[in-house]
Amino acid sequence: MSSSDNGTNPTLRLQGVGKWFGSLQVLDEIDIDVKTQEILTVLGPSGCGKTTLLRIVNGLILCERGEVSFKGEVVDGPRPEMAMVFQNFGLFPWKRLDQNIGYALRIQGKDKNEIDRLVSHYTELVGLGGFEANYPSQLSGGMQQRAGLARALAAQPDVLLMDEPFGALDALTRETLQEELLRINEAEPKAMIFITHSIDEALLLGDRVLVMTPRPGRIRFQFETGFGRGRDLEKIRGGKRFQALRHYLWEAMRNPEEEPEPIPDLVIE
Amino acid sequence: MATDAPTATGVSTAEKATWERIKEPAVYVRLISLFVVIGGWELMGQTGNIDPVTFSYPSAIAVAFWDLIASGKMTAAAYESSQILVAGLLIAIPLGIVLGILMGRFRTFEYAVDTYVFALYATPVVALAFPIAMVLGVDFVGKTTIVVFFAIMPIIVNVYHGVRNVDLSLLEVTRSFCSTESQRWRDLIFPSVVPYLVAGLGLACGRALVGMVVAEFLMSISGLGALSQDYIADLELDKGLAPVVLLMIVGIALTKVVNICETKFSSWRVRQES
Repeated sequence: MSSSDNGTNPTLRLQGVGKWFGSLQVLDEIDIDVKTQEILTVLGPSGCGKTTLLRIVNGLILCERGEVSFKGEVVDGPRPEMAMVFQNFGLFPWKRLDQNIGYALRIQGKDKNEIDRLVSHYTELVGLGGFEANYPSQLSGGMQQRAGLARALAAQPDVLLMDEPFGALDALTRETLQEELLRINEAEPKAMIFITHSIDEALLLGDRVLVMTPRPGRIRFQFETGFGRGRDLEKIRGGKRFQALRHYLWEAMRNPEEEPEPIPDLVIE
Repeated sequence: MATDAPTATGVSTAEKATWERIKEPAVYVRLISLFVVIGGWELMGQTGNIDPVTFSYPSAIAVAFWDLIASGKMTAAAYESSQILVAGLLIAIPLGIVLGILMGRFRTFEYAVDTYVFALYATPVVALAFPIAMVLGVDFVGKTTIVVFFAIMPIIVNVYHGVRNVDLSLLEVTRSFCSTESQRWRDLIFPSVVPYLVAGLGLACGRALVGMVVAEFLMSISGLGALSQDYIADLELDKGLAPVVLLMIVGIALTKVVNICETKFSSWRVRQES
């Protein structure tokens, strides 16, 4: 277990966040710091409050206890410096792809030339060039989520919030998009909170993995993956470190009650 | 598309053929049905099985239709009727949209008016003709009010449901990207309401026609309703039914106009199917 607070100011800080839905407590004592350009993957079983946590970070809902701060300012509502990529894509079915990708920019009141420039840049970056005039229903799930990602990136946020973005996609598409996401993040690094229930995805994408327990959602443990940047996912998948961490997480997820045994040589920064 | 698709037996074309089997014969079935019904009706008339005092048959009605057009009576009556129809729709459509939106969006407004709206929706509006006549008179204002009452209900109810059924996950998307309320209406709520509104307009046009005739029958007699009733009272059934045929044509035309609007406003939906 390691603290992520290494002295630099975190972009995003959650302190003692607790959330109730009526009398049901869904989150308890969540402390998280996300550094600039850090990718934090949050791993946990269904119902552990991962999505609720992300909605609190986004300011879509408020927490009853504790607080979320972005660069020192308390988050009390959605703000343009954070952009969400939604599990069900969240595209407007009546808007063409370019209109969907430029959505946040129009909301922000950017002028038309700026919108056109950014939309075409991010459309190319996510590999959707040529599909600008299509409606979402004409595209595959993978392409729709590329558009969802492009829309969030085009808003030029400091923090990307990813709510199981690849959860609804088939395995092959999912792996392709994981690689694409890392490639895009190399090109334009941003802080990212990535919610997933896939152990592989958490390890492959995360600089740091945070594991949660359900009812109420608590942080169980967290560690740095140590795979570094510019990672080759194929190589990582075949490596010993990945295999060991994967097995470790698998055991930990299977026995949610037991305190997981530490793996000192792996679970270190 | 192959014209012999309905009889195609190839397994590979089975899926395609299913569609064509449904689509293509629809035209034939309709034509045959029309031929049998209209033809049978005409045959009954020609062979003297229809008493022209109590009923009429297609060719007689067609001749009467032409006579009424040629004498200018039909056009004059249609012009008179169209005034209350158009005035009624011009009031009912914007008013219905506004009321539906207010009901769908503001809880307090909904609770304040939903009892009346749903009570009126369930009430046969014909029953209101006499109270309306008492209050607003039996002329233009009273008749237009009847048309409004007939037409407005499906618009209010459909728009209300459209606003209510806005996709909650998309609502969250607009919130997440810091949309203002007016941007939210433009990007999400209005586009979501369009299909509901169009369906409501289709119903409204049909009901407006009914309202128009009801008003012309029950209040100061005028227009196509009067024309029809006068001839029926004189036992000239062919001439009495001719205005009814015109109403059918107008009804079908209005429905077509609504359909064309629908296609125009929801191109993303049509493309999805093709």
